[in-house]
Amino acid sequence: MFKNYLKTAFRSLKRNKGFTAINILGLALGLTACLLIVLYVVNELSFDRYNTKADRIYRVNEDLKLGNNSVQYAVCMPPLAQTLKTDFPEVENAVRLKNAYSIHVKKGSENILEYRVAFADPSLFDVFTLPMINGNASTALKEPNSIVITETTALKYFNSTNVVGKSLVINDQGGFKVTGVIKDVPKTSHFNFDFFISMSSFPDSKSDKWLRSDYNTYVLFRKGADPKKLEAQFPAFLRKYSAGEMQSDMKMSIDDFEKGGSYFRMNLIPLTDIHLHSNISGELGANSSAQYIYIFSAIALFILLIACVNFMNLSTARSANRAREVGVRKVLGSSRGNLVIQFLAESNMITLVSTIIALFATYALLPAFNQLAGKEISIGLGTFAWLLPASLLIILIVGFMAGSYPALFLSGFQPVNVLKGKLSAGFKGGNLRNFLVVFQFSISIFLIIGTLVIYNQLNYIQSKNLGYNRNQVLVIKNAYELNTHSQTFKQEVKQLPGVSDATLSGYLPTGQARNTSIFYKEAGTTDQKNAIFPQTWSIDEDYIKTLGMKMIAGREFSTSMATDSSALIINETAARFLGMSNPVGKLLYQSVDGNHEHVKAYQIVGVVKDFHFNSLHENIAPVIMRFNYDNGNVSVRVNSSNLPALVNQIKSKWSSLTSAHFEYSFMDQDFEATYRSEQRIGQIFIVFTSLAILIACLGLFGLAAYAAEQRTKEIGIRKVLGASVSVIVGLLTKDFLKLILVAIVISTPLAWYFMHKWLQDFAYRVNIHWYTVAIAAVTAMLIAFITISFQSIKAALTNPVKSLKNE
Amino acid sequence: MIKITDLEKFYRTEEVETIALNKLSMEVRKGEFVAIMGPSGCGKSTLLNILGMLDDPDAGSYIFNDTEVAHFNERKRADLRKHNIGFVFQSFNLIDELTVFENVELPLIYTGVAASERVKRVEAVLDKMQIMHRRNHYPQQLSGGQQQRVAIARAVVNNPKLILADEPTGNLDSSNGNEVMELLTDLNEQGTTIIMVTHSEHDARYSHRIIRLLDGHTVMENIMI
Repeated sequence: MFKNYLKTAFRSLKRNKGFTAINILGLALGLTACLLIVLYVVNELSFDRYNTKADRIYRVNEDLKLGNNSVQYAVCMPPLAQTLKTDFPEVENAVRLKNAYSIHVKKGSENILEYRVAFADPSLFDVFTLPMINGNASTALKEPNSIVITETTALKYFNSTNVVGKSLVINDQGGFKVTGVIKDVPKTSHFNFDFFISMSSFPDSKSDKWLRSDYNTYVLFRKGADPKKLEAQFPAFLRKYSAGEMQSDMKMSIDDFEKGGSYFRMNLIPLTDIHLHSNISGELGANSSAQYIYIFSAIALFILLIACVNFMNLSTARSANRAREVGVRKVLGSSRGNLVIQFLAESNMITLVSTIIALFATYALLPAFNQLAGKEISIGLGTFAWLLPASLLIILIVGFMAGSYPALFLSGFQPVNVLKGKLSAGFKGGNLRNFLVVFQFSISIFLIIGTLVIYNQLNYIQSKNLGYNRNQVLVIKNAYELNTHSQTFKQEVKQLPGVSDATLSGYLPTGQARNTSIFYKEAGTTDQKNAIFPQTWSIDEDYIKTLGMKMIAGREFSTSMATDSSALIINETAARFLGMSNPVGKLLYQSVDGNHEHVKAYQIVGVVKDFHFNSLHENIAPVIMRFNYDNGNVSVRVNSSNLPALVNQIKSKWSSLTSAHFEYSFMDQDFEATYRSEQRIGQIFIVFTSLAILIACLGLFGLAAYAAEQRTKEIGIRKVLGASVSVIVGLLTKDFLKLILVAIVISTPLAWYFMHKWLQDFAYRVNIHWYTVAIAAVTAMLIAFITISFQSIKAALTNPVKSLKNE
Repeated sequence: MIKITDLEKFYRTEEVETIALNKLSMEVRKGEFVAIMGPSGCGKSTLLNILGMLDDPDAGSYIFNDTEVAHFNERKRADLRKHNIGFVFQSFNLIDELTVFENVELPLIYTGVAASERVKRVEAVLDKMQIMHRRNHYPQQLSGGQQQRVAIARAVVNNPKLILADEPTGNLDSSNGNEVMELLTDLNEQGTTIIMVTHSEHDARYSHRIIRLLDGHTVMENIMI
């Protein structure tokens, strides 16, 4: 009997090619989108789970509040890891990582700049699952100047992975011994390093200071230990170890410190939460956000729902054509159950075909999607282990979801009625169908508004006046290579035609170098209320004008003023934090070498207009600039029409002073990089939204076709009685457009509410304008109208003789 | 075989109530060939639907093979129907997606006949109806007369005790119509009871007895033999 169902289903689908194509195409499109998103979400959720002990690994975070500032750090004090291990039996192990940012590694005569480098404690391989291919994991990182590299790196430098015992020249110093080769760190790790240098090679790591935070510290708990219990002991622990230092360096007790409203705390974050739930100072890499996981999952579900709704709608609309078959089958003895099974078999068959197409399409589109999303997702055997059962489940769920209504609806026909043609109007189930169309378009309009808002916000970020001019600035990344020649280099570059200015400073709005320190408003007290904890940047006399920043009071630094070595330029926010309405000329104090007995006084000589240097998610923080030598970067403002030639000229100046590799970028590109993840998310959103709308339109197209077909006779009669084409098009279009209107009314407030919430996450954001909503509404109307009118016009142009004869 | 007493059926729309059958009583014996005639709207199709258990009466009694079926639910009716009654329609009502063979096979599938047995029985009945050579064609590929012969083959494949025919020649020309009537007569002579609704006096002459309806009740009976 089942064979008969499939046969009928198959032939019926074959006979109604248009309908079948719309259904299969719509569903396949929806499933493909859905699968891609699922792969993305699974990838995001799998971060750090490659660690076999992932459930027992936690990172220690630090919360610091000082005066008006509060900061969260992913890094902790140098002695913390070892102390936790000795003091608490539940801590099985602990490991520190320290980002080394960049090193030069010699390959032949070439010095290659490597960015993925970290110092690591020997316990690294006991805590994290980083399988060693060659070398001894337990001793590899013990000795100073030991280095463990990844497989890819070994191949890059030695063409072999069997390189334990060989040496590397790092930053022009020899004697680094390769003690291990590990498999590449999985892409789904919150840190991604190619070089792990033994922590003992880094003298600072032996520091016993408790009032510093610069080591990413991970704790491995014993099985069954409760991290909450350890967390509860942190305050007493911190007090025990830091009180002495606070007393000696800051001349205050922890009680005094806390009385001033300041605090100094530690907490634990599970390793597997870091990628999606942590975005604080000192992260080892750019993390993602759980918010996007929710948004994308919702979109995937929406798309699938829209595709299912299409299926239900088209099937019920087509019911008139199937009614007679239902009647005949019933007369011949089919029970209702038989028919339900038959229609479900049909919908499951469509879903099966769609899923197969979707699987292939997903496979084919994955590289493009990876590019769009900046991911390296691959479908391997491991993927199939969950993908195949999941697909089967999807087929059944979607098949039933999409097929159940038509199945129940069609099988409920009374044979007497359908055989007698009483159901000729056939376009039954109208209310449900109307509801579904409204539902579909509500989602579509919601997504259109969402896309517009996201697009506007991204655009806003792009075009926002950031308080500095990022265009036409060439940044030389490794200026420190020039050592004492950096001033010379800057001066020589400034002389080049096509260069309008150049500045020597590692502290750039688009850079990574950041430094914070404490200033006090009064010399003698260490009262927190007097303290400010700003970004403290070293700049030179050309910095402000090279970067196109604006002074709103006072003056820039000048080499002609001998006193400028103790001068400060502060930003507007710093002035506000200090509570100074007229700061120029006022003094700020800072302890020398962390000793409060010695204070140095600085005079504020200028106030620079606020500029953005963090992501626009955050408010501008206070910045205090010192006139000081820092040779991290040379930034060059250029105004040349022949940029490549100018870059070559600068490069030749560079080469005359150092043999180091010339590393440069343009500031606007660096800026783009800050927002790349946002832009990616925005693009993915736009792509999937367009898909959702396309699928919804596909459904509407089919529906309009059936509506027109069902009303052929009515149209014929109206035409005989003298109705014009436009009247008939209006008649057919009006019903649908009414539904779209209802959808607009439902979705607009929802979209406004959710997008408003999304925008709250940005400290600097656009408003949702009424015209954004209007554009979305008009777009939806227009798309729907075009889709429907195609069918309506076709119906209206049909010769009435033809349509009436059919009766 | 069939005995109905005081059968009533109403159709209600929002405002109007139409009486389709008005205390109708009649009896059909086993082996009879009965024609039901009457003007449009006299209730003959309603009667046929109730006799075929496609519809239930609002009042009255319907005894089929000594069983009162007037208040049977849908499932029981479907069960009784598929084993005992074959239908022939004016518009054939073949399923377009199925071949001649598959259309005829359908009732056997629903009554759970084994596949090998089905092939035998379908081939036998197609042979009898002389459309064996068309067994793999689809209904659209056949002439009207051929389609109606397939429909009759489908109606008799289960060896029903009763065949209900609703204007079986209504969509056919006279020579095809006569062929169909010959077929029905043959079936009747082999023992099948036939009740046929028709507008055609010519067709009615093939029957043993004509029941004439007007406004939902019997006005006249002509015995033909």
